[in-house]
Amino acid sequence: MAVRLQYATRIFPIFNLTKLHRAFSTSSCLKSDKPLKDSDVIAVESLNKSKYPSVKESKFSDELIYEQPFIITDISGVPEEHIKERLVRIAKAPKNAMQSGTNNTNVWVLQFDTRQRWENNLIGWVSSGDPLSNLQLHFNTLEEAIAFCKKNCYPYFIEQEKSIAPKKKSYAYNFSWNKRTRVSTK
Amino acid sequence: MERVLLVYEKILRKIGLEKFGNLIEIIRINDGPVNSLKKLTYYDDLKKGTLVGTDEFGNRYYNNNYYFFGRNRWVEYADHVGFNYDGSQVPPEWYGWLHYKTDYLPENDPTRPNYPWVLKPSENLTGTKAAYMCYSTTKPKIVVWTPQSKQKA
Amino acid sequence: MLRSSIQKAAKVSRRCVHIGNTNKAAVAKPSAEQTLLEVYIDDKKVLVEPGTTVLQAAALVGVEIPRFCYHERLAIAGNCRMCLVEIEKSPKPVAACAMPVMNGWRVKTNSEMTRKAREGVMEFLLVNHPLDCPICDQGGECDLQDQSMAFGSDRSRFTDIDFSGKRAVEDKDIGPLVKTIMTRCIHCTRCIRFASEVAGVDDLGTTGRGSDMQVGTYIEKMFLSELSGNVIDLCPVGALTSKPYSFTARPWETRKIESIDVLDAVGSNIVVSTRTNEVMRILPLLNEQVNEEWLADKSRFSYDGLKTQRLAFPMVKFDSGELKAVEWEDTLKHAAQALNNANGQIVGIAGPLVDAEALIAFKDLLNKLGSEHVYTENAFPLSGSGIDIRASYLFNSKIVGIEQADLVLLIGTNPRYDAPLINTRIRKSYVHNELDVALIGPKIDLTYDYEHLGNSASTVKDLISGSHPFNKRLAQAKKPLIILGAQQLKRSDGAALLAAVQQLAKKTAEISKVDASWKVFNLLQEAASQVAALDLGYKPGISNLKSLPAKVLYLLGADDSDVLKESIPTDTFVIYQGHHGETGAELADVIFPGVTYTEKQGTYVNTEGRAQQTLNAVTPPGYARTDWKILRALSEIAGKTLEYETLQEVRKRLEEVSPNLTSYGNVQESNFIAQATELSKSVKNNLESKPIDLKLKKLEDYFMTDVISRSSVTMSKCIQAVLKQKQNKYYDGVEK
Repeated sequence: MAVRLQYATRIFPIFNLTKLHRAFSTSSCLKSDKPLKDSDVIAVESLNKSKYPSVKESKFSDELIYEQPFIITDISGVPEEHIKERLVRIAKAPKNAMQSGTNNTNVWVLQFDTRQRWENNLIGWVSSGDPLSNLQLHFNTLEEAIAFCKKNCYPYFIEQEKSIAPKKKSYAYNFSWNKRTRVSTK
Repeated sequence: MERVLLVYEKILRKIGLEKFGNLIEIIRINDGPVNSLKKLTYYDDLKKGTLVGTDEFGNRYYNNNYYFFGRNRWVEYADHVGFNYDGSQVPPEWYGWLHYKTDYLPENDPTRPNYPWVLKPSENLTGTKAAYMCYSTTKPKIVVWTPQSKQKA
Repeated sequence: MLRSSIQKAAKVSRRCVHIGNTNKAAVAKPSAEQTLLEVYIDDKKVLVEPGTTVLQAAALVGVEIPRFCYHERLAIAGNCRMCLVEIEKSPKPVAACAMPVMNGWRVKTNSEMTRKAREGVMEFLLVNHPLDCPICDQGGECDLQDQSMAFGSDRSRFTDIDFSGKRAVEDKDIGPLVKTIMTRCIHCTRCIRFASEVAGVDDLGTTGRGSDMQVGTYIEKMFLSELSGNVIDLCPVGALTSKPYSFTARPWETRKIESIDVLDAVGSNIVVSTRTNEVMRILPLLNEQVNEEWLADKSRFSYDGLKTQRLAFPMVKFDSGELKAVEWEDTLKHAAQALNNANGQIVGIAGPLVDAEALIAFKDLLNKLGSEHVYTENAFPLSGSGIDIRASYLFNSKIVGIEQADLVLLIGTNPRYDAPLINTRIRKSYVHNELDVALIGPKIDLTYDYEHLGNSASTVKDLISGSHPFNKRLAQAKKPLIILGAQQLKRSDGAALLAAVQQLAKKTAEISKVDASWKVFNLLQEAASQVAALDLGYKPGISNLKSLPAKVLYLLGADDSDVLKESIPTDTFVIYQGHHGETGAELADVIFPGVTYTEKQGTYVNTEGRAQQTLNAVTPPGYARTDWKILRALSEIAGKTLEYETLQEVRKRLEEVSPNLTSYGNVQESNFIAQATELSKSVKNNLESKPIDLKLKKLEDYFMTDVISRSSVTMSKCIQAVLKQKQNKYYDGVEK
């Protein structure tokens, strides 16, 4: 998977949490300016787990993992109004009622709410001020779609997948002598 | 006397000074030096030619086949427009002759139809207040309700 | 002709594969888990129940076999032959849609023989198919186009075009909704099977054989069904297309927004296709629990009513009596002044197409202004259990419950025109699950046979007392359902009727020893906003406006002429907030332009109690604004500001009042039915003897029932066509 849902950083338990901005590096050791002193290190057992719920133990006894939510709104460049005021809809792509093929219905589609459209003065075509009006993202799984929304801090709602009930069919029912499924037409 | 003038002209032609005579001739035909200057100011051009016809607006059409193709037919616009002459003031009947589509003058052309629905020619009003503003001729997408009754039931 | 070929194939392949009698197998099988058959589809093993067809087994694996005539909800026809697949050790390819699997079969869906079969079938289909793609409405969403690209051969061998050419067939006229270009028909017979099985109107059929076969009604007849638009979806080619939609848009340039239909109380899921900010068409969306894949005609074709008679500007009635367009601020100030001066003597009526957000804002505003008189147009009796217990006003067993029922008793309702998609469900159970139906009401054509138990309400009393001959049948039913129509509650003895039916349901449940989780009593609502309004605490029904001391009458989308005509005193200040100009707007002193269901994100609760939301597809015209926002602005100017400002906050308020309103897509199980029945015993009045009458008895009544469909030109054309057909001397239907 190309994207990791949660950004785990291994830190040495110094718990000077203000220095965690340096945790944005992907290397497994913290690049600190000065070397660690003995007084910086706290024993794992004495950590107040309830106060720092995002901190988890790793398999190394002297290490803890601080899981931060992976948020890229600072660097993605999307204007704030298009994050805070938009509502995202995650749903499975619907089957076109006019066709019987279902290959397109296996993806989860992420769409934005519809914004205002008006008639342009020049020719009478329809103008819109919404840069996200044509944005439709396709995801293979619901989890990926939700992770994307969380990463970009979009408020979202999910429409549950509509299940199709299997039907019992038989060609012989068309010819039953006593059932109403006897067919009167071709 | 005529022989003297002809020799005079021959000598002038050899040197190339008959142009001045031509110039004076043009000024004379264009009603004097003041009017010639006026014409020069308007059209940047002073030519002599035969008056071929006039149209309903007062534009005068001239022809002189001494000049090369493209300059042998021209229009002098009506006096009342002054500086505000415009190519669209040439009416459709004269347009063909002026632009070398036909050699027929409007009254001589046998193929000109005469429809009752033809509008009077008007000049292009771009840039003025009466300029054509395009407007939508499509049906409106939403038909708005208009109240029928004027009084309360 | 085509059925015999399958039997011949069966005989031949009997040498290789044993084909059992599936009906017998279905009856005799002990339990499904024990006798699962194993099938190999493209070397992928899958275990299926006996009786599954090859096509269904392949779908389980993820292999979609191409088909034209097969449809999950219709009977198997097996006449297109596009689904032919090779089965190992079988000399001939087998029609996957019809052939039930046998144990150990190895199906090859991509082998040489299969591919040749598909290309051959496609070639034959295209031989007589006209080159209409550029002018055909189905282009871009055509099964024939897609399957010929995917499964057909790349070049044509059709040289006959220079000699006898392609076949051509005359177009048939089957009404103002379905456009037929029968040259394009590939004779898959889906429309015929739909008309016969699902719609119940046996009008379509085939005439002639071979090359001269034509699908149609033989004599020129209109397809008189309220579900006629569904054949447009079913037809895999462009033979049957939508007449109002013809030549207006191509499918790839439309935006599709999923929404809910509100023109009846079923809450069918729809897809609104829009382009350039107008609704181009409305298609159904699959939802197994509500509308399956079908959509009723009124919902499908009244979208042109969304563009006519719209209110686009706020209007105020001046002293001259004339309504003139005014700025928003001034209109709001004028209305707020009147509301504040009324001193709490305000009456509010909410119409049938209002969403829950507007309903709660309306009620909150009127309550803040000191008025408790907030009503819905549709009636419901307040005596007995009233609206305190949800089970008295919902379709308790849910729409899917009809499929499990074995007896349905309809009282005072015509589901065919009140809620066509519920009638479809009843018919489906009637055909497949041996459902029996009985009706108390006028004799109407329900597209299936039913036992007519008379026309009077006293039949209910007889059934309760046990003296009616039908009681025997009721006692035998393991899962009976009783459906009462909501319009009967408008009668003067509506309360007594509701109480009687609830007691009948209880008695039936006792006698038939019905399972405790099975709910017998159901109420079929007519209006999409009724259930939400009752959940939010609205008082249902308003019998006499004159009796209420009303200085201000606030109509929220209320256009019912029965309620409004002649009942309003002349000095009442009328405020109308809605989207179409009709009865309500004519009476109004102030008009606030609201939005229709395609232009707002609103919550609607269907008759089962399922909350669903519409999404906004297009922008409202002119100065029209969302209903709850207008009410919020009005509240601020009137000085009684409502606490919510965004949609999320309104929905939080909705959740506060009734949490099921924001639980989208789910139905809360209705409870306290026993308690509701106990309370109903306290109802004093008696059942009157007047006969049960219905508002919608004939097809021509069905098309125009609410503001949007009354403004639609297509609907008026439908009514004219139906009336014309009924005057035809060859018309032999039940409805006259």
